[in-house]
Amino acid sequence: MPHLPYRELPDADPGTPPTQSPQRYLAWLARRQGGLLSLNAAFGIGWMVAQALVWAAVGDAIDAGIVHRDPRALLAWVALVMGLGIVQALCGSFRHQLAVTNWMHAAFRTSHIIGRHISATGDALTDEIPAGDVVNTVMADAMRVGGTFDSSARFAGSIVSWLVVSCILLATSIQLGVIVLVGVPVLASLTVPLMRPLHRAQAAQREAAGRLAAQASDTVTGLRILRGVGGEDVFYENYQRQNERVRCTGVTIATPQAALESGQILLPAVLTVIVTFIGAHDVMNGQLQPGQLVSFFGYTTFLTTPLRTAIEYVITVTRAYVGAGKVLRIVRIPSRFESTSPPREWPERFAALSDSRSGVTLLRGAIVGLVSADSADVVPVVDRLGRFSADSLGVMLDDTPLEDFALADTRRHIVVSEIEPRLFSGRLREELTPRGVIDDGSIKAALHAASATEVLELLDGGLAATVEEKGRSFSGGQRQRLVLARALLTRADILILVEPTSAVDAHTEERIAERLRSAREGCCTALVTSSPLLLEITDDVYLLDQGVVVDHGTHSDLLSRSARYRRIVLRTDEP
Amino acid sequence: MSALPTASFVEVRAYARILIRRHLVSFAFMLSLYALAAIAALVPAYVVGLLTNAATSHTLTNSKITELLEVLAVASLTSGLLSFLGRRRSYILGERIFAELRGSFLLSVLGLPVLAVERAGTGDLLSRTTSDVEAMSRTVRFALPEWLVAIVQTLLTFGAMFLVSSMASLACLVSLPFLFFATRYYLRYATPGYRRERISYASLAGTISETAEGARTVDALQLGERQNRRIESNLRENFYAEMYTLLMRMVWFPITEGAFALAVASTLGWSGLLALHHVISIGAATTVTLYVVQINDPLDRLVSWLDELQMGQSSLARLVGVSGVHDTRPLTGPEPADEELRVESVRYAYGDGRDVLTDVSLVIRPGERLAIVGPSGAGKSTLGRLLAGMDAPTGGVVTLGGVALSELPLSTLRQHVLLVTQENHIFLGTVRDNLALAQPMASDDAIHAALQAVDALAWVRQLPDGLDTELGTTGHVLAPAQAQQIALARLVLADPHTLILDEATALLDPRAARHLERSLSAVLEGRTVIAIAHRLHTAHDADRVCVMVEGRITELGSHDELLALRGDYAALWRSWRHETNADAE
Repeated sequence: MPHLPYRELPDADPGTPPTQSPQRYLAWLARRQGGLLSLNAAFGIGWMVAQALVWAAVGDAIDAGIVHRDPRALLAWVALVMGLGIVQALCGSFRHQLAVTNWMHAAFRTSHIIGRHISATGDALTDEIPAGDVVNTVMADAMRVGGTFDSSARFAGSIVSWLVVSCILLATSIQLGVIVLVGVPVLASLTVPLMRPLHRAQAAQREAAGRLAAQASDTVTGLRILRGVGGEDVFYENYQRQNERVRCTGVTIATPQAALESGQILLPAVLTVIVTFIGAHDVMNGQLQPGQLVSFFGYTTFLTTPLRTAIEYVITVTRAYVGAGKVLRIVRIPSRFESTSPPREWPERFAALSDSRSGVTLLRGAIVGLVSADSADVVPVVDRLGRFSADSLGVMLDDTPLEDFALADTRRHIVVSEIEPRLFSGRLREELTPRGVIDDGSIKAALHAASATEVLELLDGGLAATVEEKGRSFSGGQRQRLVLARALLTRADILILVEPTSAVDAHTEERIAERLRSAREGCCTALVTSSPLLLEITDDVYLLDQGVVVDHGTHSDLLSRSARYRRIVLRTDEP
Repeated sequence: MSALPTASFVEVRAYARILIRRHLVSFAFMLSLYALAAIAALVPAYVVGLLTNAATSHTLTNSKITELLEVLAVASLTSGLLSFLGRRRSYILGERIFAELRGSFLLSVLGLPVLAVERAGTGDLLSRTTSDVEAMSRTVRFALPEWLVAIVQTLLTFGAMFLVSSMASLACLVSLPFLFFATRYYLRYATPGYRRERISYASLAGTISETAEGARTVDALQLGERQNRRIESNLRENFYAEMYTLLMRMVWFPITEGAFALAVASTLGWSGLLALHHVISIGAATTVTLYVVQINDPLDRLVSWLDELQMGQSSLARLVGVSGVHDTRPLTGPEPADEELRVESVRYAYGDGRDVLTDVSLVIRPGERLAIVGPSGAGKSTLGRLLAGMDAPTGGVVTLGGVALSELPLSTLRQHVLLVTQENHIFLGTVRDNLALAQPMASDDAIHAALQAVDALAWVRQLPDGLDTELGTTGHVLAPAQAQQIALARLVLADPHTLILDEATALLDPRAARHLERSLSAVLEGRTVIAIAHRLHTAHDADRVCVMVEGRITELGSHDELLALRGDYAALWRSWRHETNADAE
């Protein structure tokens, strides 16, 4: 790639847009690239006006050159035609370049704003908007927002070239000038009634096609089950039914779409007939040269382009408006709460993290088990301890409310590994150590503690191997072990692991239990589990019911005295 | 990993030819409408030529003007109407062809052998199903019809031009070399650029989706800044991919537009000179020039759709490629004599030669409950897959009633042996649709009984619409444990005599899992159940336990026998039951 005469995208900082309304958002975007937009408009105008003026030169070539039998004049006008053609080609080329640049500025800035925002919202985002919608907003709506900045220059060119043609005609014949000046907007507005049914049909078709695509992807992801259990026929029939529905909605588009396409050619033809008719009479009366008649004919056929462009522009602006609305829906989701200012400094040493509402206390240097008949009951407790719920009232680090610390500090020192933590794509080494570079020895030690060494051995390239999107090339058990290693590698003061071994076999679980103690030596660790193998290594166990502590003691203690505990942990059916 | 095949150019062409032949009449009709519309569109420029001739020879009269303008008006109207009909037909035809293409692609997908899909990775097939089908949609529904119109218009306008004056028309040919070489250069270098663009946008979509779906993990591990940087670097790659194709167009556009201008100027000059020397009339010079201007538009579309068509062709090759992979299983074959599964000296190695199973022999007694336990990587799941006939052993043989599993037709195999793994999938559709895969006609009673057997009836009844509740990403989302119950209920309904459960209850709460397994085994009384499990109570409840270590069976016997043996199993069991060695001894 040669050196580019303008700056690379995306910008380091996309800026903070107004979120009140789509109009204000679009206006904000436009202001940020005002210079580019004006320059683009200038080339758009040059490009279109040159196309119109070619007809004047053609007419003059016929009149001055051929009718008046002057080869020099003919060649001079032909040279002008060529010159205008070159102006058109160059202006067109720059117009296109700037249009794409403008499009990218607006679309990428919008994607960037969304991306930056969703990186910061935490699960407030997924509570409000499904992940699929977020992807769609970036891939479709942000691009549509960009689309309006792409076509604005062509729109400017259309308006100016229409006015130029009108003026040229006005100069020769007021009647013809007025016809074009008034006729073009009138004809353009005639296509408006076609747009509503077209858009309705297109929306219906997109929806039906989206459902069909979802059905196809669903079949592919579930193919192993289908091939194993059977049901291909039923699936094929269902697919074909929806396929036929998509085809039918596609057919309903055909009429308005074809009408709009043909209308954009047919309507200007009305102008052509009227202008040529009047022009021909003017020629007959000697008021007009034959070449001028050719020019007038040319102008009216040329007007097809601005007319079509103006109609397209209206469509893109509508789409951008709708798209901006969807973008704002995401950007308006508030970022994570921040603590009261100024935040307290995180202490060098602390003794305990406690939650007075549930009665759980995590002591420094200890491994604590949190046991409940239904581990979902423990989730609110964990969310409070890790400050994932907006309401962390009653959670204290020693004597200080957890809310008094900066959220970033809390996240750095307290790590919660939820039930199904995600693995991200990238090199395994970086995915395991997202908080910064850690030497391979320590990484391997953590993998060993998580009993994930054999996962590493199966990979081509070891730590340099690539993790696929969402870690989907790993089995559930492999993913769980890698994620456990990643949690250990955060070296957090307080680590809360929710069901860290639910998807691994008993042998492996035992191995992990053996190694976890030394891996978390001196730190504070909480395990939400009901596995006897893991509870074996705890110093302290809380038995919870509906999120509140009902019993507390060591694992052996509780085993010997609590029937309820035995029932949960040993799965015995004793009463 | 070995990707699914891509069809060769010859195969794609053959496929396209079959499609066209199937719709030959519609094609011919559509093309004739376009041709008639294009011919009608040639009239106005001719009329203007006649007007110019009449004007210069001073023979223009009111009646002549009216007459000519009537012709012009009728021709424009006819052209508009015909092009409306032609476009409408072509959109409809495009929809039909695209629907057929989708249908036949899905049919090929449904016939794919599981092994081929696994080896290629689901991602490969998924990207064909989504992005290639999407690309074909653009090609078949828009690019192809527009391109055909453009061809018809270009050819007919050229023809008309030469009919009016072949000598005058020659001048416009000077622009053809520019057009040809610039376009050839452009297509050669730009097409890979567009492919890069598509890949770069897919990466962006991937990062956005990961970040949105993993929002909680992003927050917990403070990955926000990093994800933001990744999105930025994706956008940067989008930028450079766009800049590359833009650069290509910055070379190509001015040359083609310049070539068009050259064609107009040279035709005007040349035909003007011919008119000056009375070789042709002024009118003919005018008409030819107007035709050259008129041809620009279709010629421009003709070349600008080429890259889209080229990409469509590569997508079609990937879609057609899938139809070339067939299941190697026989469609008919010998019936198994009885229900006995035998594993005889089986060896299994992956592609790299690493042995996963070495010399495994095992006879499964019909009706028994066998538990397979052992550490990760011992080959338990591989043995499960071989027992289910999902894969064939590298050495030795797995037989059912004396017939090798690989000799059994798929439909027969399914009636006998089924495998459920931890990886389950909830299909889009209702609860009923999800259960009745193998038994589309299953009665509500049978479905209820199956749900009861997996302890799922209670929560299914509480769903908004019971059995008719829509599931999947767009409907009600089930918890992983519930999805696992659905998978097991599916199996109960299919009712094979041998069931292989590979960690099939791992996602359930331990106590719920045990309860489920007990109620399930009541329903499966008399069926053979092979359970690969990490929870030892499953082994405790089984008739026999098979312990696997490093690709071999090391212990085999009942729970009590193995405890007495004091081997691996006994040690594990003791630690699991919190019995220290000191207590036991």
